[in-house]
Amino acid sequence: MSVHIPYTVARSRLTCGCIGFLTVLAAGTTAFAADYYLPIVMPITGFMSVEGGSQRNGAVMAFEDSKGISVDYPVFDTGTSAAGAATALDKALSSGEAVAAATSIFGTEMVAMMPVAEEYKVPLLTISGLSKITESGNPYIFRFLPNDREIKVAHARYVKEKLNLSKPALIGDTTAYGQGGFKLLQEYLAKLEIKPVFEDSSIAPDTKDMTPLLTKVKQSGADSIVLHTVAAPMALIIKQARASGMDLPIITSSSLVEPTATALFDPAELANVCAETPSAPEARATPEMKAWADSYKERFGIEPDGLALGQYDGVMMALKLIGEGADTAEKIREAFHEATYQGVAMTYKSDGEGDMAHDADIVCWDGTSRVPGIAAHYAGEEMVLK
Amino acid sequence: MWLWLAKGIRVPLAAGALVLAAYGLFFASPYELRVLTVCGIFALLVIGFQYIFGHVGAVSLAQATFFGLGAYVTGVLGATYELGFLVTFPLSCLVPLLLAMVVGIPVLKLEEHYFALATLGIGLVVVLIAVQWQEVTGGTNGLPGVPSVRLLGVEIRDRLHLFIFVWSVLILGALIAYQVTRGLYGRVFHLVRESRIAASSLGIDVDRLRFNAFLLSAFYGGAAGALMAHVIRVVSPENLELSVMITCLTMTVIGGRTRIAGAIVGAILIVHLRESFRILESYTLMAYGAVTLLVLIAAPYGLIGALERLRARLIPEPVDSPPTARQLSALTAAKAGGEGGSLLEVERVSKHFGGVRALEDVSLHLYRGEVVGLIGPNGSGKTTLVNIVSGLYRADAGRLTFKGQDITNQPPHLISRLGMARTFQHINLADDLTALDNIAVARATRERSGLQKSIFTVGPDPCLQMARRNAMAAAEMLGIGPFATTPCGNLPYGTRRRVEVARAVATEPELLLLDEPAAGLNEEEQRDLAARIRRIADFGITVLVIEHNLVFLRSLAERLVCLDHGQVIASGSPEEVQRDAAVIEAYLGRDEAPERGQTVAGGDSERLASQR
Amino acid sequence: MTFIQLVLSGLALGAAYALVALGFVFIVNATGAVNFAQGDFVMAGGYAAILLSTSFSVSFYMLLPLVAVVTFLLGVLLAWVAYFPLMRRPPATVFISTLLCGMILQNIFLVAFGPEARSGPSIAGAGMVRFENLEISRQSIATIVVAIGLIALQYLLFARTQTGRRLRATAEDRDMARAVGIPATSLIAVTFGIGTSLAGIAGALLANQFFVSPTGGIPLSVFAYIAVVIGGWGSLAGAVLGSMLISVFQVIVSAYVSYAVATGALYAAVLLIFLLRPQGIFSERVQRRV
Repeated sequence: MSVHIPYTVARSRLTCGCIGFLTVLAAGTTAFAADYYLPIVMPITGFMSVEGGSQRNGAVMAFEDSKGISVDYPVFDTGTSAAGAATALDKALSSGEAVAAATSIFGTEMVAMMPVAEEYKVPLLTISGLSKITESGNPYIFRFLPNDREIKVAHARYVKEKLNLSKPALIGDTTAYGQGGFKLLQEYLAKLEIKPVFEDSSIAPDTKDMTPLLTKVKQSGADSIVLHTVAAPMALIIKQARASGMDLPIITSSSLVEPTATALFDPAELANVCAETPSAPEARATPEMKAWADSYKERFGIEPDGLALGQYDGVMMALKLIGEGADTAEKIREAFHEATYQGVAMTYKSDGEGDMAHDADIVCWDGTSRVPGIAAHYAGEEMVLK
Repeated sequence: MWLWLAKGIRVPLAAGALVLAAYGLFFASPYELRVLTVCGIFALLVIGFQYIFGHVGAVSLAQATFFGLGAYVTGVLGATYELGFLVTFPLSCLVPLLLAMVVGIPVLKLEEHYFALATLGIGLVVVLIAVQWQEVTGGTNGLPGVPSVRLLGVEIRDRLHLFIFVWSVLILGALIAYQVTRGLYGRVFHLVRESRIAASSLGIDVDRLRFNAFLLSAFYGGAAGALMAHVIRVVSPENLELSVMITCLTMTVIGGRTRIAGAIVGAILIVHLRESFRILESYTLMAYGAVTLLVLIAAPYGLIGALERLRARLIPEPVDSPPTARQLSALTAAKAGGEGGSLLEVERVSKHFGGVRALEDVSLHLYRGEVVGLIGPNGSGKTTLVNIVSGLYRADAGRLTFKGQDITNQPPHLISRLGMARTFQHINLADDLTALDNIAVARATRERSGLQKSIFTVGPDPCLQMARRNAMAAAEMLGIGPFATTPCGNLPYGTRRRVEVARAVATEPELLLLDEPAAGLNEEEQRDLAARIRRIADFGITVLVIEHNLVFLRSLAERLVCLDHGQVIASGSPEEVQRDAAVIEAYLGRDEAPERGQTVAGGDSERLASQR
Repeated sequence: MTFIQLVLSGLALGAAYALVALGFVFIVNATGAVNFAQGDFVMAGGYAAILLSTSFSVSFYMLLPLVAVVTFLLGVLLAWVAYFPLMRRPPATVFISTLLCGMILQNIFLVAFGPEARSGPSIAGAGMVRFENLEISRQSIATIVVAIGLIALQYLLFARTQTGRRLRATAEDRDMARAVGIPATSLIAVTFGIGTSLAGIAGALLANQFFVSPTGGIPLSVFAYIAVVIGGWGSLAGAVLGSMLISVFQVIVSAYVSYAVATGALYAAVLLIFLLRPQGIFSERVQRRV
């Protein structure tokens, strides 16, 4: 079930579409009736639209849950493209006096949006993991999922410390996501004194036949596979490995912790598979998390994921700060740097560069269900490798 | 000036340009300025694409590659090496140009579908490199921090200034495109697009022309990419991708593939369509695909072309008065070349198509000043022989000498330049050029029309003016002076045949090859044409006529040569040949199918052979 | 043994791709035009299989025939929309019109099925068949069997039946065929239908193991195009052999070097073939008739 259309009408996509369309037209032409303007600028179409859709759902849910603050939050599609993102943000920010904007998960898009944010002096609330967006000195970027630089530490440490594996095969794809994560994993495994027995980061996301790859993994004598790719090649690698009798542990990046990704598997194929994720609302580990996840599922008809929750918490934090008097873009920006916020997933606090989230989970599947359980939790200092 | 404006839809376009300028300069919001800036960049990209896709008619799928490459050059040199605009911009144009040079020579010779795939393949290789060469390109994540344009110490950062800057570059690019296409050189492009073979048999170096167009495309693509990098401030592989290519193709098809205004209108329209539907793009893209398809089907010349045609229907275009004829001096001097000497020697030429023998050991001599008829039943190899003589086919064996020079397997344009011209069995004219301009194209080589020359021409193109006057002389020789300013598509069949002959004559050939000039003409027209060809021959031009119509030939030819099954079976005076037993056997021994059927049969066997 | 295993794996995918390329050549031969939406019809077949098996609970015996019918009809529609209105124009025009139809299809998939990859129904059940040290999935065996069957069927159709002869005559010269009373228009429409239904069946066969996604067809169009160039433009046998060759080549190079090199080498090989043997590897040189 995809989520790339405004949520307002749940069932019929077509009706949905028309209404969303009218909403946008209305947003473009009428004066803002609400007190605050906080546009959503995300990949609603294109190859990141599943993730963008989750993210958008999280943001929208936060606005709906906010009590007493009236916010206008039109959705602008970036089309999963850097050029599209810069223009979309420009359109969003020039359509009203924004206090902040909830923006894309896609790192390349964020990079393109950053100069625009600087120009309009509006903080961007994102969940993109790409390290360099908070590390380039742009004071308008706030990230509500852990920096890849931190979360990949959890990924690598779990391989070493919990599973005691020493001969992983490290695999990445050629997407922006894959290339970034692959390099960090390489770095951290080395710091943990693990030398992958096999490395390949040239898997194109449309690769179908993984036999060549798996043959090489087999020949390398690997005791596990560490994966950082987008969902489709990841699913193909895992399925084809299991089909050819390779039942070694597979530890993947968070793209697998998506209902649309696990739908590609028979539950049995997921046995002995673990993944990092910023949070795992679908596991419903705490009462707050359960309440939130149930409410999400009721609204959107699908299981939630960590992306939606991260964006939800980010927007909720912004709304709380607005409620406390930070009613301009500049005031919010300053408040974000100072404040601490207890969200549904975790506690958010800026590290000075705009990275707000410093917690991660490792989830594992037991082979009986598509919903994973939490196997380990990393936070704060545990996510830094010296 | 007023006359210039009166043509086509230039008045509304000029008004539109003024409105656009006023809107951009005084009323647009920063966001709208960004959108307009992006429009300008795409328009530049599309104008470049029009050279290869529009003007010479080759489906190149490499335009996005040039665009992305230009962006990367600016990105890498600007962000990593911190070089200024005056260094990065020229290099951004030159690197794609270099790529086009390297790949262009082999790739441009390919047939249409192969060319499309080859350009696509080149693009995919470049994407692969951009993705994998992470140290330089930043991989898929891209390279941030592209500096803004800095020119002579002034940083162009402000939206308005950037808009003015980009549109200035666009106007410059448009101006160059206008210069290249407005004169004789542009009409040569036009013929190359309509018929590569016709162009090459007029002495036009088609490969060279296509190469030039490809280089221009690459140059513009690189420039547009560089500007895009400055506007978006990050470069990533997305600029290289097929989706950019499809956007570019769509803009070109919608706006009009040969019109500069079409490029700008197409870019503005598509960019704004996408902007106004920033959400629900899948629905938009569906509609957008459907609309483009509709335009492709209903308005083959794009919106601008459709409007121009509408205007021509509502308010007739002002017709240029035909120029005064200027005699074809070389033609009138041909007689001085003397008669009787050998002009063309075909020695033991053979040609096979798959398993089919089209020609077997054919020898034929033509002497200066004679008119020879080449006859033979369907499929006997007459047209194949002419194709080999004029260089369109390579002979499998044998030797050809023209004016004492070995021309065996020379390219058609070089053979033509030696003084040989031909017409085609199936008319090969550009339908939307006037009869006069169709003939004028034949003068391109003699007028030394070229790229640089046309770019720097101020005022009316002297090459075109001179070519038209010469063309007028050729037109009058064939009695089609009154139709000179009519587009060829509107002319009756018989007249178009005469335009073809006039075009061949306009190259001032010493040898004229006519492939069934009288086909489809009534008796009256045939008599007239025969008389006119006779008069051309009287200048001392040697003529070889392929014809079925013996009545037509009898009044014209001094000698007949008969082919059958790819071999010469008779040669001599018309009376002798007509009485020859082998000729009678060849003609009467089998069914006389219409000429159309002949090519069909020939084409069949060859294509069959190619499939096995 | 590893080598043989890799070749086997390449052949399994190659067999499905051969169907796609074969359909592509049919349309080339009938019209002289490139159908750049061919890959999108593979996805259409996959999505049709998903829809038929989930919404209409069609059993797997009926699945392939029904998918063939659906994609056949879509192909006929394609002929009417993207080919017949443009058939008197340069062939490049049809290239663009099919590209646009492909784009429309992709967005229909996007709206109807969402952007994520979807797995299709299994045709032959899950699991692997082992033989000595070699293993191959049941689905792959089914794919190879169906592909061989269809390739044989099309050969019989074209070589042995009256309809086949008429199809060939139409492909060779439409006007001539019309002149001798062959209903060329409907035969061309049928050819489009056969061409796209071969792609559709390939899609239904591949969807289970390799998923379908809205834009997943684009690389397949490129693949078919390359296979046909390598096999020889217009050659049916060449298309099949070309697909197998590329597929095995890709698997072997990926295994012994890397995926990136395999892809790069394929494009480089295509460019080289253009330079050295523009008639394709399996075809003899024929000069174009003027």
